[in-house]
Amino acid sequence: MAKESSDRIELLQGTLDMLILRTLLSGPAHGHQIAKHIQRTTEDVLQVEHGSLYPALHRLERRHWVSSKWEKAKDRNREFKYYRLTPEGKRRLVVEESKWKQLANAIARVMWPAKESR
Amino acid sequence: MRWRRRKREEDLDRELRAHLDLETEDQRDSGLPFVEARYAAQRAFGNATLIGEDTRAVWGWTSLERLGQDLRYALRIMRKSPAFTATAVLSLALGIGANTAIFTLIDRLLLNMLPVRNPHELTQLMRVEAGRADNSFSYPVVHALDSRRDVFSGVCGFTWATFNVGSTDTVARVGGAWVTGAYYETLGVTPVLGRLLARDDDRRGAAPAAVISYGYWERRYGRDPQVVGTIIRIEGQPVPIVGVSPAGFSGANVGFVADITLPVAALTRIMPERAALLETEPQWLRALARPRPGLSRTQLKARLDVLWPQMASAAVTVNMEPDRRRVPLSSSIDVSPGGTGWSPLRGQFRQPLLLLMSVAGLVLLIACANVANLLLARATARRREIALRFAIGSGRGRIIRQLLTESVLLSSIAAAFGVAIAWLAGRFLVNLLSSGRREAMVDFDLAPDWHILAFTSAVALGTGILFGLVPALRATVAAPGPALKDDTRTSAGSRTKLAPALVVLQLALSLVLLVGTGLLVRTLRNLQQLDAGFRHEGVLLMNVDARRAGFEGPRLAVLYRELLDRLQHLPGVQSASLSTNTPLSGAKHGGRVSVDKQPQPGTAQFNAVTPGYFRTLRTPLLLGRDFTLQDGPGAPPVAIVNEQLVRQYLPHGNPLGRHVAVDSEMEIVGIVKDAIADDLREPPPPAVYRPYFQRPHEIGNATFEVYAMGALAQVAGALKDELRAVLPQAPVQYQVKTLTEQVERSLAQERMLATLATGFGLLALLLAAVGLYGLLAYTVGRRTGEIGIRMALGARQRDVQWLVLAGALRLAAMGIAVGLPAAWAASRLVSSMLFGLTPTDALTTLAATTVLAMTALLAGYLPARRASRVEPMAALKYE
Repeated sequence: MAKESSDRIELLQGTLDMLILRTLLSGPAHGHQIAKHIQRTTEDVLQVEHGSLYPALHRLERRHWVSSKWEKAKDRNREFKYYRLTPEGKRRLVVEESKWKQLANAIARVMWPAKESR
Repeated sequence: MRWRRRKREEDLDRELRAHLDLETEDQRDSGLPFVEARYAAQRAFGNATLIGEDTRAVWGWTSLERLGQDLRYALRIMRKSPAFTATAVLSLALGIGANTAIFTLIDRLLLNMLPVRNPHELTQLMRVEAGRADNSFSYPVVHALDSRRDVFSGVCGFTWATFNVGSTDTVARVGGAWVTGAYYETLGVTPVLGRLLARDDDRRGAAPAAVISYGYWERRYGRDPQVVGTIIRIEGQPVPIVGVSPAGFSGANVGFVADITLPVAALTRIMPERAALLETEPQWLRALARPRPGLSRTQLKARLDVLWPQMASAAVTVNMEPDRRRVPLSSSIDVSPGGTGWSPLRGQFRQPLLLLMSVAGLVLLIACANVANLLLARATARRREIALRFAIGSGRGRIIRQLLTESVLLSSIAAAFGVAIAWLAGRFLVNLLSSGRREAMVDFDLAPDWHILAFTSAVALGTGILFGLVPALRATVAAPGPALKDDTRTSAGSRTKLAPALVVLQLALSLVLLVGTGLLVRTLRNLQQLDAGFRHEGVLLMNVDARRAGFEGPRLAVLYRELLDRLQHLPGVQSASLSTNTPLSGAKHGGRVSVDKQPQPGTAQFNAVTPGYFRTLRTPLLLGRDFTLQDGPGAPPVAIVNEQLVRQYLPHGNPLGRHVAVDSEMEIVGIVKDAIADDLREPPPPAVYRPYFQRPHEIGNATFEVYAMGALAQVAGALKDELRAVLPQAPVQYQVKTLTEQVERSLAQERMLATLATGFGLLALLLAAVGLYGLLAYTVGRRTGEIGIRMALGARQRDVQWLVLAGALRLAAMGIAVGLPAAWAASRLVSSMLFGLTPTDALTTLAATTVLAMTALLAGYLPARRASRVEPMAALKYE
């Protein structure tokens, strides 16, 4: 079950793209799987409205970072739209990741200066 | 484009549904009943509509999809306001049509390349003698140039002509050309059928051969493939058709279709009386050359400067007097681009057409101002719509683009109509052009081609942006807040300054055109009413050449005398005469004169006339006597001269009894008033008249002048009957026309300018009046409340009317203040075309100003009446 809303954190602008790319690194997935994966791995901390995935997915596809294809699921007789990472998307993920690290470090330096100076 | 979008929509829908289904399943797995599971799934998903919207926003629109949207919307808007659309399209269509029509003529006459191989290589040759360039060459000189293979691939000479084709009963006049043998090879034209003329066809004694045009082959022979070998009768002589030239090629004489082309050498057989044209002296062929490959036009000129003096001997003969021999020997050859062929119409109509192009441009500008004003008015009405679009998040660029799409669509529709108008008007324009030619055979292919369509599209796009941009910018600066409130009656400020400015601009431009029109119309009237020294009313001219029928010298004189006698006794004929030249016929004959054995520095015009010539043309005899039939071959040679000759060469003493010599001495027996010779704009030159029958061996072709009362058509018929009576079965060339026609033809350029300028001037005035009316009607509508209050406070109907009319006059006054200086500045451009008045002619200016003011009052009348009928109570209640 979902945690109480007060414990959940709004996703930072732009990070959703990175999370999606990272999720797809382990293999193709459709929208619902991506949503579930993010939800599960963050232990429900990050609040991702499932719907908001779709504009992001379409945006990534338009930038050619992911590609999509309707395919039949292995476990059921129904077609889903599977997204997979393109080589360009992989490169992009590296860039996003390093940017994110820089940002996190910068924030850390401001928040806990004592630790850093020692 | 649209199906791809729909597919994407369906795709998204399917994707989102699949997600919801999966989530619902997950929720049910955790034990919820279906309805609640679905509900939970939806909650987890978020606002599906919004997400769909966001996703679609990510897709974006391709520019083409946007254009499609804009166009669909623009069409819907146009359909919603048909009156606006019709007014705008009509005024633009007239403006664009006028421009397209004039451009079509300019393109056909001045810009079009001949449909030949590499037309840009073709070079026109010109003789420069004593500093004056002339484009005519003699037949031997063209041949001499053509033989210079070191500089030319070929040089050809050509001239347009008309031929009598067919046997006696079915003679038709067909446009044609005389060309030298190198003509087709130099131009680089290949036959569709048979062969074209070659150098061998143009040798003395060669069998005559004719090439017909594709058009003639189609019209006359129904494209019969067996036409080669057919014998046609040209001037009574049998000539075989040897080939058909390709479609689209109708000779190098632009504007004059040559359906039958003959080699010059055939002249000796077909028109033996003109065999002298093959000699050295007559300069009658235009020359086009193709330089040797690799030789530029500048290099060619340099080579010719060296080469020509060595070969100029081809231009002289031993019998020439030393004086006259020197002229060609010291001449040079000049070159200019010749890819557009040659046309006598160019010299005559180049300047007028360029002038008319700028006039048409002004008309279009006025039309644009009109449509801009309509758009401004409508933008005011559409403020709420635009504000709403802003409010729901449209960008300004997007709205401007939408508004511009609307105006360009408007101008494009107008352009389509404009092309149609130009096509219809084209015939009329060509007729105006050809009314100046002796043979009305001027023809152009006026069907719109890519030149025309490209021009019109550019004009449409340009005008669409021109009249649409300012209103669009205006319409989109407004903040949505106030505009959304219903305050259209008070917040229409954006229109209040720009609209009157546009109307003033329209009025000013109209005034410029009106002044120009007035100047050109009065020039035409001045020329028509000029005292030419002769009267053209009631005079018929009959041109006869009986030499073809085998008459020569004294026998010809007897024949002409008999015919003249018969004509004089026809019912209704007041007087008849015979002469070699007639006024404004285009032909002239002149040269040096000596007076009392003293050679004179200047020249004089010569004419041979029979007794009664001056009576027929009603040129007053001022002194002495007219010729009589006694002034024959045996009698002492006599002459009549005009006042100008006396003024110039015999200023002192009694001119009667003195002697004037043209090629032999003649005693002056009479003096006549000066009469215009070959140009209405030129003052009459000195003239010497001699008795027609005094030198029978010089008689050749002749023009009979007949001054008759009553219906001229009837008299013309009688003239032909008399000609048939004296020459029963001979193939004579003759032509009957009125002297009035001949005079009018010499005014073709002036008439074309005056006619078209009047048309454009009225169009401009009408457009400006519509613009003014629209503005006033709009103002009255807005000021209904104010007018109601004025009337409630005691203003009379007349006061209210005056209020509106004064507004109209104020705008007109501003238009005049701006327009008059502009008109004066612009009229300098036409000063060279004026006759008998200055560009700042006071009467013309006054008339144009008055017409403009009257039009302004007329345009103000309806709104003024509407204003005066405002019911004060109704107006105030509405407020």
